[in-house]
Amino acid sequence: MRDLLQQTPSLGNALWFFLAAVVLLVILLGFVTYAIYFERKVIGWMQARIGPNRVGPLGLLQTVADVAKLLIKEDTRPKHADKALYALAPILAYAPAFAVLAVLPFTETLQFADLGIGILYYIALSGITVLGVITAGWASNNKYSLIGGLRSAAQMISYEVPLVMSVVGVVLMTGSMNLREIVLAQQDMWNFIPQFLGFAVFLVAAQAELNRTPFDLPEAESELVGGYHVEYSGFRFAMFMLAEYVYMFGMGAMVTILFFGGWLPIHPALSFIPGIVWFAVKLLLYVFLQFWLRATMPRPRVDQLMSFAWKVLLPVALLNILITAVVISYQSGMI
Amino acid sequence: MTGEFIAFFVLSLLTIGGAVFMISFTRVVHMVISLGITFISIAGLYVLLGAEFVGVAQVLVYSGAISILMLFGIMLTKHDASDEGTGNTWKNWLSLIFVAALFGLMFWGIQSSVWPAPPETAASDVSNVKQIGLDVFKRYVIPFELISVLLLVALVGAIIMAKKEGNKE
Repeated sequence: MRDLLQQTPSLGNALWFFLAAVVLLVILLGFVTYAIYFERKVIGWMQARIGPNRVGPLGLLQTVADVAKLLIKEDTRPKHADKALYALAPILAYAPAFAVLAVLPFTETLQFADLGIGILYYIALSGITVLGVITAGWASNNKYSLIGGLRSAAQMISYEVPLVMSVVGVVLMTGSMNLREIVLAQQDMWNFIPQFLGFAVFLVAAQAELNRTPFDLPEAESELVGGYHVEYSGFRFAMFMLAEYVYMFGMGAMVTILFFGGWLPIHPALSFIPGIVWFAVKLLLYVFLQFWLRATMPRPRVDQLMSFAWKVLLPVALLNILITAVVISYQSGMI
Repeated sequence: MTGEFIAFFVLSLLTIGGAVFMISFTRVVHMVISLGITFISIAGLYVLLGAEFVGVAQVLVYSGAISILMLFGIMLTKHDASDEGTGNTWKNWLSLIFVAALFGLMFWGIQSSVWPAPPETAASDVSNVKQIGLDVFKRYVIPFELISVLLLVALVGAIIMAKKEGNKE
């Protein structure tokens, strides 16, 4: 990190950084395009429908057409909206979503920044998105979007606590917050077996952080019309959707790295398959889980949501930390 | 001209700019957003100094704090409420003189004091979290625990005050 900052800046390496970021962005856009297509197909199949099949072969260009439609739409803005904040909110929501990807190690060598505190960086930056969501809700000058923004803030701040707590077990086992070292410590056994409690809490809390079903109350259509982005259209709406799917990518990568051994193969004998393939397979399984849940789970009531975070998830996460700490102290001969 | 210098320049501009706008804006949500920019830029300055952990903790703590502050700002003020600003010009001049004097004093103090040469620490590996952890939980464990008691008392106090108000209604 420091070497990178202390390099003499020149047009050459600035261009190089820029190019690397653009390549990541393009890969990400490709992922989001086909994640949306896949989501519609999977949910279609689960509901005994066909799903999109008109645009392009097998409907493969459906999302491309949808995005094109979004981009050429008129960019509307409510008359009494707060002009500057209305424009700022999508940026505040999306920029952290892209920035968190910098610390994720996709393979042993493919990583943008090898931070010693990778986990904390991810969690801290993803918290900034809440600010964008509240700003969007307030600046739209619409009561539904304001309620959606408030709900979202309450939910994301509450569920961040069990999310962080559930990761502590993994950090204790590894003795490091560096994501690369966490993966390398899982050579013998993936973390989701010894850390099953932590894994369960993480999975549920991540669902709430992503605002995905069954925790999609901030955009509950039947109660709030559309949530915090109800007044947004065109490109700005696309930014919010993009942020949501990029977070899905990021959270999938986090689950893969923290609990499923990142780029490590299932068995050392299978290590002839490159690490990036393993990483992608695990990530896509998580993404599939999202769509599966969306097609099957109902939504809890808003009052059940908060008590679940504080009265169920947090105690379980604390118990997990206690058990992990006791076991580790026992193994190292401290007690 | 190193990258560090450019980053420092941009971050300090954002820090000071956010603080200035925080004072000069008149609507509470705008103020909170510019305060947030200040806090996040300060986190960037920490990272520049090699204190990644402090920087990330700054973002972690203050982004949540800013969100809560914004919620209270929205809920406790009217939608169109705005500061009407102080009309008293002589008061403004008086405060300008005081601020200028304070700035002069601090600038003089900083310029004239002799700083000890920074100890040549071995360039630590990627992370300094471990060092912070060892220091906090071994050397400074009693102050650390006392602070946690203080926070707990503040928390309980806030709950008791809120409860009292609820009972009156």
